[in-house]
Amino acid sequence: MRRERIVLVGAGRAAAAAAATLRREGFDGDLVVVGDEPHPPYRRPPLSKAWDGAAPCVDDLLVRDAEWYGTNAVELITGTRAVALDCASRQLTLADGARLGYDRLLLATGGRPRRLPGVRGDRIHHLRTVADAAALREQLAGDGPLVVLGGGFLGCEVAAAARASGVEVTIVEMAPTLLSRAVSPELGELFAALHRSRGVTVLTGERVDSVVQAGDQVVVRTCAQVLECAALLVAIGISRSTELLSGTPVACDDGVLVDEFAATSVPGVYAAGDVAAAHHPRYGRRVRVEHDDNAVRQATVAARNMLGARDVYDDPHWFWSDQFEHNLQMVGSPEGHDRSVVRGSPGEGAFSVFHLRGDRLVSVLAFDRGRDVVTGRKLVAAGATVAAEQLEDDAVDLRRLLRRQGGRPS
Amino acid sequence: MGAVPETTAEGSATDSVGSWARALDLDELWEGEMTAVTVGATSVLLVNVDGQVRAYVNRCPHQEWALDEGDLDGRTLTCSRHLWEFDVLSGEGINPDNCRLTGLDCRVEDGAVLVRAG
Repeated sequence: MRRERIVLVGAGRAAAAAAATLRREGFDGDLVVVGDEPHPPYRRPPLSKAWDGAAPCVDDLLVRDAEWYGTNAVELITGTRAVALDCASRQLTLADGARLGYDRLLLATGGRPRRLPGVRGDRIHHLRTVADAAALREQLAGDGPLVVLGGGFLGCEVAAAARASGVEVTIVEMAPTLLSRAVSPELGELFAALHRSRGVTVLTGERVDSVVQAGDQVVVRTCAQVLECAALLVAIGISRSTELLSGTPVACDDGVLVDEFAATSVPGVYAAGDVAAAHHPRYGRRVRVEHDDNAVRQATVAARNMLGARDVYDDPHWFWSDQFEHNLQMVGSPEGHDRSVVRGSPGEGAFSVFHLRGDRLVSVLAFDRGRDVVTGRKLVAAGATVAAEQLEDDAVDLRRLLRRQGGRPS
Repeated sequence: MGAVPETTAEGSATDSVGSWARALDLDELWEGEMTAVTVGATSVLLVNVDGQVRAYVNRCPHQEWALDEGDLDGRTLTCSRHLWEFDVLSGEGINPDNCRLTGLDCRVEDGAVLVRAG
């Protein structure tokens, strides 16, 4: 009997999780991972965080050490882009002309940073890869200032890391507050105040009109002023890498469309991680999640389903952000909540915000109170019903609320 | 001196340097609980899982955050900072599964938890 082959396209976090799951679940056919970066899968979250000492070294970031792939009979093809997909004959063509047949395929190609149209220059930076991070760090090693375009998580984390290492930093954000896509205006203001207190210039509600690199200076014109800097980081989100799929029957719409089983519109083809636009049963709509933990969990489900399971992916999503010495975590989605309860002391630092719809906990956000998220995540995942008074009472152990869910019919 | 069974976490990296020191009275470490104590210059995490006591360096192998600020649920310890999970009986990482806590020699004698830390 012919050996089965599973191919994972994109050698990032999702592919690494899928490969490990496939082997752990007993898949003993050929397993091939193809990626265009020259490295085995590595963790990207540290690239934007705390810059202590030397530039990031990929060896410190590897999800699995290089030997793991050999030990587990995973063929790792790095530095090679997949350029064409033929779903009818189940063949993938690589940039070097090689053709790989597959029985099942995981699309885990992730995304790439959005760029400002027409803007070029060696001082215009984006951040996705370890090479991007090294280039930015190298340029800022001499001197700043740095302008960060985009006050989302990536922009804010880099701003904090650069500022903490002594660089003069300005954040320019079009929206009225920082982190506006993810958190409330109040929390965005809290982060703006934090950054300002450390010497970051935070410009919100400012649209950028033009960016030009002239010699070794970048000139950024906003609607309100002209900024000059040694380096510009453009951190305005990603586009999902779906170009491999143009002309194929794999349905895409700003990402690869997948159902709750991580399956695409084409039998045998799955997608996970940043590239996936997944139907999410918990939220009753399509979601695109660009977080490390989601890539791992969704790819794990995809891998199991590739082997015949019917696991539903309905993780409530968890992410974290580290800025300066502070830690923000969030689980679930506050959409549709009708009540918020605060635990802890926002004025004094650490606090958590619990979002409820009726008496059901839908989301927890913790600022320097990660412990609340450890249990909060389980409460949200369980669809727990809780009393608001207990959530805001610091004397009530959240784990007790979780145990109480045990007898509840679900 | 009679042989006292040591409850070193099986398979975990063990720092055997240093001498035995009294870390805590056992009745201060309830079953299902964990606590951090300072032994010499080392912050030590002590856990009690159904009467089995383990000692680890109180630093998450990920980014060295203090583990006692995390959550212990049965034998699963979750670091509060980035939710890395560990099996505190073996010291092995659960998620991610390719890391481990730094175990310290540990034993219970006459109602006291003794730890050997550098």
